[in-house]
Amino acid sequence: MDERWRLSRRQILKGMAAAGALTTAELAWWDEPLIAPRRAWGAQPVRFQFSVPEPKRTALVESLAQRFNQSQKDFEVKVEFVPQAQARQKLITSIAAGTPPDVAQVWDNWVGEFDGMNAVEDLTPKVRDWSGYKDVLPLAWETVTVKKRILSFPWVVTNDGVYWRTDRAKEYGAKPPKDDWNFDDFLAYAKTMTKPDKNQYGFGMRGQGTWAVLYATEFMYANGAQVLGKDGKVAINSKEAAEALDWYLDLFRKHKVCPPSVPTDGWRGIVEGFGRGVTNSYIHNSGSSEEQKDFVKPENFATVPLPFGPAKKRSSFYFSETLTPFKAGKAREGGFKFMAWAMEPEPHFMYSKALGLLPARKTVAERPEFTRDPALAGFIKSFPFSIVSPYLAHAGWGGKLDSEGVPLFQQALVGRLTAREFLDKFAEVLSKNMS
Amino acid sequence: MAREATLARPLARPLLTRRAREVLTGYLYLLPVVIALGATVVVPIVRAIQMSLYRNVLIKPQEYGFIGLGNYARLLDDDVFWLSLWNSFYWVFGSVSLQFLGGFVAALLLHQSFQGRAAVRTLTLLPWIIPGVVVALIWEYLYQPNYGALNDLLARAGLMTDKVAWLSNPSLAMPAVIATNVWRGVPFFAIMLLAGLQAIADELYEAARVDGAGVLERFWHITLPMLRPIIVVATATRIIWTFNYADLIFVMTSGGPANATQITSTYTLLQAYSNLDFGYAATLSVVLLLIMLAFTLLYLRVTRGVEPVA
Repeated sequence: MDERWRLSRRQILKGMAAAGALTTAELAWWDEPLIAPRRAWGAQPVRFQFSVPEPKRTALVESLAQRFNQSQKDFEVKVEFVPQAQARQKLITSIAAGTPPDVAQVWDNWVGEFDGMNAVEDLTPKVRDWSGYKDVLPLAWETVTVKKRILSFPWVVTNDGVYWRTDRAKEYGAKPPKDDWNFDDFLAYAKTMTKPDKNQYGFGMRGQGTWAVLYATEFMYANGAQVLGKDGKVAINSKEAAEALDWYLDLFRKHKVCPPSVPTDGWRGIVEGFGRGVTNSYIHNSGSSEEQKDFVKPENFATVPLPFGPAKKRSSFYFSETLTPFKAGKAREGGFKFMAWAMEPEPHFMYSKALGLLPARKTVAERPEFTRDPALAGFIKSFPFSIVSPYLAHAGWGGKLDSEGVPLFQQALVGRLTAREFLDKFAEVLSKNMS
Repeated sequence: MAREATLARPLARPLLTRRAREVLTGYLYLLPVVIALGATVVVPIVRAIQMSLYRNVLIKPQEYGFIGLGNYARLLDDDVFWLSLWNSFYWVFGSVSLQFLGGFVAALLLHQSFQGRAAVRTLTLLPWIIPGVVVALIWEYLYQPNYGALNDLLARAGLMTDKVAWLSNPSLAMPAVIATNVWRGVPFFAIMLLAGLQAIADELYEAARVDGAGVLERFWHITLPMLRPIIVVATATRIIWTFNYADLIFVMTSGGPANATQITSTYTLLQAYSNLDFGYAATLSVVLLLIMLAFTLLYLRVTRGVEPVA
């Protein structure tokens, strides 16, 4: 055989390594094969509950857990996937039964409830000793601080902004939304972009779920309203709030710039409406930006901050997806190690980027992948006026927003209550449940 | 060879009489069922009644305590409860009556002989086979006002100009979810009634025909009376199921818009898992149980149960 065609063992190994590297390069981070040796036997299991809204996250989190397991030998994270709709319910029942997971991924508005159940522990001293403490945005810590105690790690954060169609705005001659736009500009855009004959509407308003009330509240804040007054009492039924809410509801009731499905449009409804081209703008956090890149294509949409109201004010509610450990967990040390590891720059970057959410760590958030992405611009520009949701003030409000606030809001939407009547009833619900 | 004398000994008097032993044996056979039903039905009911007498909001463990009939008093003042109760009756009556009518018509058609009958009978069962949550998602999509198939079909047929928000309009939402439930429940009645129809002897119809009875008379005097036991059992079962059935509404509208489709079972879920108020949720469950018991007893009395007609 010709010697030129004979491969040495070293050449074969090099070739195999190169092929492996090429294959890996084509894969997403969470799909990459693990090359580190398996962890030693006898590691303490750490139960981690993760709620799944979409399949991409399953692979990502499974990969994260495996990487953590490879990085040390004392603990082994076992992910327990649950459907997102059942996550809160499952946690509550497991807490009541005394068998919560060691760590769970939960939204910040649940943390206060779990604190009320005496299910979470004060992490303040441990967190302050953690090396990345000062690199996490203070506002992010605020989302997980209840009664001056830090109860979780803010894994990723986000705030609300407006998604709008750049291509259609050009096509219909609409004035493109600017960073400092106001209510009038918003209405003008929505009107120009409403084409009922083409089954297109200017604005996809949310009418179902807690955030239906939160988005409306952001418009009330733009007119100078507050949920709580300076005396700590509920002040959401103010004149300013009623005026702004009337204006907001009229987008659907009077101006008809929203699709008829609004009263039952939840998160899926508004994201799909924009993705399918039925609506030409909607309010949401950065979490749907990746999805819209697939649906609408990155060049056809952008994001912009919420508009200024008549009071020359505006706000965007800021919230976090947290990693929360539970008091009754059996592997609390392992749980803390896992959370601290997940907040390390690389896993933190990968998780945030893959989901379109923003990192809680300043050094990671400053990376160009976030700052130069037009789909995220509206959210990053909203940081200066972002505030933690005022509804986090009382743990008792969490469930009531959904069970009583939303049906009342829907009554206002369909004209069974005026804005003022809704706010009076809503204020009564909030006042009764301050705890 | 000497014979051993066998002395007759008087039999010891048994502890229990033969009749008592038979009765006891019968009850022993029932014991496993009693234990199983006790553990799965009686204990949860007793626990629910007990829980309904306590203030038990999971996020306020410090307020946990016995409050007697406090939750029941609160229920009397709860406007959403009364609305949900009214909605429940609307939902149950609308669903079951239309399911029954549709099922009866389907059963009568499937009872006729025609080519491909077996295949049609199998296909009829499809809506019943599909899980409730999947049915809800399919119909939610069909009703979607912006890109749903129903509006598109109606518009193409020239029957509609403006888009109808089937699930988002408070006046239409309940009829829309009832229509979905009817679609799902018709096969249940169709199969039950078809089985009943097949059990009616042809001789009865032949005799009636000889006596000059027309189609309607035969239906009224033979078919309906012979099917009565099945109709009573099937409707009673279906009424109870529908009253407690929350999946469809929970997925399609979550009780909205503006509580237009809030029924007592979805309201109970909301109290338990949104408000974490297990005491109040238990109270709603107990009231629901009492209503269903009263309703079933009344229904069986009015329809004279499943005894054959004299």
